[in-house]
Amino acid sequence: MRKLLVAVAAAALALSACSSEGGAGSDGEVTITFWDNNGGPAREPIYKELITRFEAANPKIKVEYVGIPSASVQQKYDTAIAGGETPDVGGVTTSYLAHLVGQEALAPLDDRINGGPLKDKLLPSLVETVRQTAPDGKLYIVPSSANMDIVWYRTDWFQDAGLEAPKTWDEFISTATKLTDAGANKYGYTIRGGAGSVFQLITEAYAYSGVDNFFKDGQSTLGDPANAELVDKIADLYKKATPEADVNNSFTQMIAQFTGGSVAMMHHNLGSYSDVTKALGDKVAAMPLPVGPSGKRTVVPNPTDGFAVFRNSENQDAAWKFAEFLTSAESNSYWNEKVGQIPANTDVRSAAWIDSAAHVKMALGVLEDPATVLVPAPVYLPQYSSITKTDSEPQYQKVLLGELSAQQFLDDVAKKLTEAQKEWEDRK
Amino acid sequence: MTETLTRPPVDAAPPPRQPTKRRRRAVAEEPGKPWMIRVPLVLYLLFTLIPFYWMLVFAVRPAGSTQLVPWPISLEHFDTVWNDIGFGIFFYNSVVMGLGVLVFVTILSVMGGYALARFKFRGQRVFLLAMLCSQFIPGAMMLIPLFVIFKGLGLLNSITGLIIAEVAFQLPLSLILMAGFIRNISVELEEAAMVDGCSRTRAFFAVVLPQLKPALVAVGSFAFIGAWNQFLFALMFATRQDKFTLPVGLSYTLGEFNTDFGALAAGGVVAAVPVVLVFAVVQRFLVQGLSAGAVKG
Repeated sequence: MRKLLVAVAAAALALSACSSEGGAGSDGEVTITFWDNNGGPAREPIYKELITRFEAANPKIKVEYVGIPSASVQQKYDTAIAGGETPDVGGVTTSYLAHLVGQEALAPLDDRINGGPLKDKLLPSLVETVRQTAPDGKLYIVPSSANMDIVWYRTDWFQDAGLEAPKTWDEFISTATKLTDAGANKYGYTIRGGAGSVFQLITEAYAYSGVDNFFKDGQSTLGDPANAELVDKIADLYKKATPEADVNNSFTQMIAQFTGGSVAMMHHNLGSYSDVTKALGDKVAAMPLPVGPSGKRTVVPNPTDGFAVFRNSENQDAAWKFAEFLTSAESNSYWNEKVGQIPANTDVRSAAWIDSAAHVKMALGVLEDPATVLVPAPVYLPQYSSITKTDSEPQYQKVLLGELSAQQFLDDVAKKLTEAQKEWEDRK
Repeated sequence: MTETLTRPPVDAAPPPRQPTKRRRRAVAEEPGKPWMIRVPLVLYLLFTLIPFYWMLVFAVRPAGSTQLVPWPISLEHFDTVWNDIGFGIFFYNSVVMGLGVLVFVTILSVMGGYALARFKFRGQRVFLLAMLCSQFIPGAMMLIPLFVIFKGLGLLNSITGLIIAEVAFQLPLSLILMAGFIRNISVELEEAAMVDGCSRTRAFFAVVLPQLKPALVAVGSFAFIGAWNQFLFALMFATRQDKFTLPVGLSYTLGEFNTDFGALAAGGVVAAVPVVLVFAVVQRFLVQGLSAGAVKG
């Protein structure tokens, strides 16, 4: 009680004199705050190690690590921006980058990147994705790693059944059916039907159809009949080669089913590497999404991860120094090896661990293959998330339950995307 | 394994059949048999308990295990959440916040409730109405204004700030509840005490307060649990990990790509046990408190 009263009184007195933690100390020492946008016990130790290394190399700069739960990170950034309490450096992915740029919260990094050791050292495809996300084409994050959609599969089940990893969607579907033994609670595949479903469905649809552009003449290509064909095929698998509960699967349930041993194949991305290997060891491997009848490999890239320097930071130079350090060859290699993702720094490609990380090597192979066509989804659209989540996820569930046709479903989503894209173009 | 799990309801079903006619008559002229009540109740009980059981199983079995009845029990997940993830600190923060909110909400609602119940003052109705209306504003809408104010007051990153915010949000309803309880305590008793020479204050402490015990427990425990479960403010106002509370800590264990179910479940147990304990201790008073004055003698 007394402590509280004192605090209130002291705070009221100090109303005008806000404390600024990030300020430079008298001895030239600065403290910068770093927000990890996907904080949690899995990543915290990795960053803590990098921070220790950074502080050893830069004794005048202290870094304060704050892990933000990934589910709330966008809201947390919004509140911080509105309240003027942004960190100095923050992890930001392209999925909400446009939103932050729109609020003028971030400092452009083009000059800093080009003026330092990172010049020409970043994967061009990732740099391009980041550029496309900002309305003015500037780099507001320095890309650090990329992710890719893949299919995790149980090598032991495949071996026992004498099957090979499927290369085409038709093989995929027959494999899933063959591996299903509903009586023994074993299923060939698991569909993500709940939260996050449509993000994944879109990557599957384009992998199948080979349509090589998200928009043609300003019209979304999502409603392409070939895309609908794939959605129909997936919906056909539901309950035949997948658990019935799949209609409500979000990532958490999906991975619980897979690591729990009741499912042979799961479409997710490299990010689940540590989870699946922890549970299944060497009985699990990754394959790229199968290709469709066209034989062309089309990839819808995942959001790109990176580090942003906030405009409000009083120590932008120190903040950049830290962001640069995190993306340097050594740190980038360390970090991506630990989380099992694709490093953005091209110097890392020669690192020894890439040879032994089969899934990363496979993904890099796909991205490096000149025949691979990248079809970036318009994550830069402010409405992209609401269109593909709130609006369409319940509709997709209807498709799975046979209450809505796949074509109708995709046409509806495509129409909304076309409108959003037009609005975006008009504003540019 | 599943057999052992499904058996209990079968075993549990027979006993309800045993009661004799005498007993059935005692339940008055209710049509039907006792099992018609008990079987659904047992099913409902299982329905509510199975998620808890599941959480417990995940928490005490080693990672990667699929046992349905975990043995031997492993405490590794508790060690992880408590020491590595920092639930020790989160727990302390939550306790401080919960107790702080409990104390302030109870004291303020008794004081305010007494004023509302016993005195007439100008604008009383408007005041009550304003109290009620404040319940219509969702916390999320107040988030940014509060954030800015707290920033100015230097109350971000402090449990004190969280207590203030939570007390402000909980007080209106607690106040209205408390006023209702106090209204149901007959004024005559107080007046009699005052005739015997008590001051109003002394009459309050000697006569009113003892009768308010069930109400205090009801309001206090709800205040505690409300604070214990508060997530939004705790998440938004804390930018230092040593100021996280349990709900924030729990969401912290849920990564975008990795979820350690064992740690999550162990964290869930840590967060749930105090609530269960609080209810186990106070539920007797709680029922009294909530129904106090329901029927006037």
